[in-house]
Amino acid sequence: MLRVLRRAADRRRQAHGDYGWLFSPYTGDEMVAIDCVTTGPDARQAELVSLAAVRLRGDRVLTSDSLDLRLARPASLSGDSICFHGLRGVDLVDGAGVDEALRQFLDFVGNRPLIGWALDADLAILNRYLRPRVGFDLPNACIDVAQAYHRQLRRSHPELDVRPRFEDVAERLGVPVMGRNTALGDAVTTALIHLRLSRSPLQVERFC
Amino acid sequence: MVDVELSHPPFTFLDEEGRERVRSGIDLAYFDRDEIILDAGQPGEYVFLIHKGEVAELDPTLPGSQSHIGHYTAGDLFGAISILNGTSRYRFRAEQECLCYLLPKGLFKQICKAYPAFAEFFRQRLAQKTRLLTERRAEGGVTMAGFMLAGVSECMRAPLVVEATTSIAEAVHTLNDSHADSLLVQGEHGPGMVTKTDLLNALVLKGLPQESQVQAVAHFELVTATAEQYLFEVLVQMTRFKVERVVVMEQDRPCGVVELTDVLSYFSSRSYVVSLQVEQANSLEALAAASRRTPELVSALMAQGVKLRFAMGLLAALNGRIINKAWGFLIDERYHRDSCLIVMGSEGRGEQILKTDQDNGLILADDLEWPDCHDQMQRLTETLIELGYPPCPGNIMVSNPEWVGTETQWRARIAHWAASRDGESLMRLAIMLDAHAVAGNPALLERLREELFERCSRDEILLSYFARTALRFSTPLTLFGSLKKPQHGVDIKKGGIFPIVHGVRTLALERRITATSTLDRLEALVADGRLDERFAEDLGEALSLFTELRLRQRLARRDDPESKGGEPDRVVVQELSSLERDLLREALHIVKEFKQRLSHRFHLEYS
Repeated sequence: MLRVLRRAADRRRQAHGDYGWLFSPYTGDEMVAIDCVTTGPDARQAELVSLAAVRLRGDRVLTSDSLDLRLARPASLSGDSICFHGLRGVDLVDGAGVDEALRQFLDFVGNRPLIGWALDADLAILNRYLRPRVGFDLPNACIDVAQAYHRQLRRSHPELDVRPRFEDVAERLGVPVMGRNTALGDAVTTALIHLRLSRSPLQVERFC
Repeated sequence: MVDVELSHPPFTFLDEEGRERVRSGIDLAYFDRDEIILDAGQPGEYVFLIHKGEVAELDPTLPGSQSHIGHYTAGDLFGAISILNGTSRYRFRAEQECLCYLLPKGLFKQICKAYPAFAEFFRQRLAQKTRLLTERRAEGGVTMAGFMLAGVSECMRAPLVVEATTSIAEAVHTLNDSHADSLLVQGEHGPGMVTKTDLLNALVLKGLPQESQVQAVAHFELVTATAEQYLFEVLVQMTRFKVERVVVMEQDRPCGVVELTDVLSYFSSRSYVVSLQVEQANSLEALAAASRRTPELVSALMAQGVKLRFAMGLLAALNGRIINKAWGFLIDERYHRDSCLIVMGSEGRGEQILKTDQDNGLILADDLEWPDCHDQMQRLTETLIELGYPPCPGNIMVSNPEWVGTETQWRARIAHWAASRDGESLMRLAIMLDAHAVAGNPALLERLREELFERCSRDEILLSYFARTALRFSTPLTLFGSLKKPQHGVDIKKGGIFPIVHGVRTLALERRITATSTLDRLEALVADGRLDERFAEDLGEALSLFTELRLRQRLARRDDPESKGGEPDRVVVQELSSLERDLLREALHIVKEFKQRLSHRFHLEYS
């Protein structure tokens, strides 16, 4: 509810701004799968390390025309998170500034619907960055693939109550895991999972 | 950018930068089962690289089962040729859910331009594909190129010329002796022709006596050609003048006759011509000339898609005739009734595909007096070598006294082999089981075969020793059913052919089946109730596949002098198409199952 009100307010305020077009309903046939790599699991404090987006059109994942941004080294980049995503400080030396990265991201995504794995966490971080800079949250329609998978699984197996894990789901659906824990790799895998889920109904052969 | 396996051809023709361009330029697509990925007539927009799943290539103009012309699995590429051609000639359909990488047309063309070796790969594939296509078209006939280029001299018989005063009776004898249909008659104003039909009509319809001269019935208006003309021109003349024979003239003298049946059989297959040459050969030289043509005959038959089984049958029959004729030329007629020349091993089973080693022996009747037998046999062996049958490395030849003997001697040998059961004896028993009579009196062999069955078929211990040999070489499959050692190839003779041939031979021995060819034995075993029909069929198909792969390997080696020697039985898995790879795997599985059945039947589990 709060989100809906906030979006209505954002839209009114932004109607004549640079990003007003983001608020108009999307009429094309594309979607965008996104993924963020951050310094930690806590959405309130974690900082953005890299950000990727790839477009889907029909049954195609347009990997040839994707967005893969590395940001300048954030202050909180620590040993633990380096082990997790494999991006060291030196890898981020020539990373983009946050403002520039967000601008590219908004241009690439536009008002297309967003697809992500556990999308809420990514959105929370992105919005934390966006609101102080442009004054609004991402208004796009959203599809959380993890939720969609869970829903489908529950439909056929109501007794199951497992939180799906990304790699397991990919393996079960026969989707290759591309460069795990790089933002672009995960975004592509997420896009493929989405295609797979939306095309043929899930057949559960073994639990996961 | 996407992780994609680019370590296979054609991507190995690119450098790292090129691969990077591919990686950053490809998209991904999902296809449902039975979805048509690229339809015939559609413009090619992408090169598809399969990451997962299977794709069938179909020719929609062909009915049902024939339409399946290609099969692609993970790692295979398709669609490139459609881009080069502009549109796709065939339909590509997902057999399973498929995940494909798509390399867009524009990028593909750029890369082709930047890396000529990469482009060459696809052009070669295109050429190969086109060739396959023409061969496919030619199924049931001969390639048009072969038709257009054949010359008259390749298909001409030597003329049979008789005097004009020859009587009809003599003419008929001449025709029969030389297996011909027509004679040339030396007339005053040039040659004339008499056919069998002319002679029949003269005798029956006109009621002429047998003594009347052939010039009365001969035709002197001849349709002629020269030896340098193309064969199809002769065919045109035959059609135009409604005749079945054309006389080939050289400086006003007839030098040959071309018959319609010869022309037609030449174009359908050359088998008739070769067998005719064998029949007509009246000297060892002529026989050798005919014998030299048999490998060419096999490749011609194979190119036309004749089933291997029939090609092998034909070749076995031809080899039998050649050896029989050689025997006839060399051995005095008075010995023919009391001796029997046998061929053994693959020759005896009728399963050799090219000329194989001589494996032969001689059975003599007990009371036969033949003082110079050994010298004669030495000559026979040498003659066969001249005819193109290489000597047997194991010295199983009639020139070796061990393989010549009277009936009593042979019986003693068989008894000895059956009793000693060592490796050497078992091998000899196996060779002997496949024996087939090619010349002389076949009853001698039949009596020996009875003896063999009598000694062996009820001896369980001997049978189990005998069967064990079939398990000697392991099937080249891994525990999980995929092909072992793909890069080194699979020894198809040890891994596939031998276990089937020997296992079936063992079962045939047990059931006293007299047929010698493996396929015939399988049929007999089904009729006998020893094997169920389906399994026997599978075994037969598997054997045909192995033999065909082996034959192709050998033919290729024959054409390519550089790779002579080598290992003709080794099939390199990567060189096969993915469909053939599937078939090979399937066939090896059947072999494996057969071995299990054998080991169960003959209690070999613990040996």
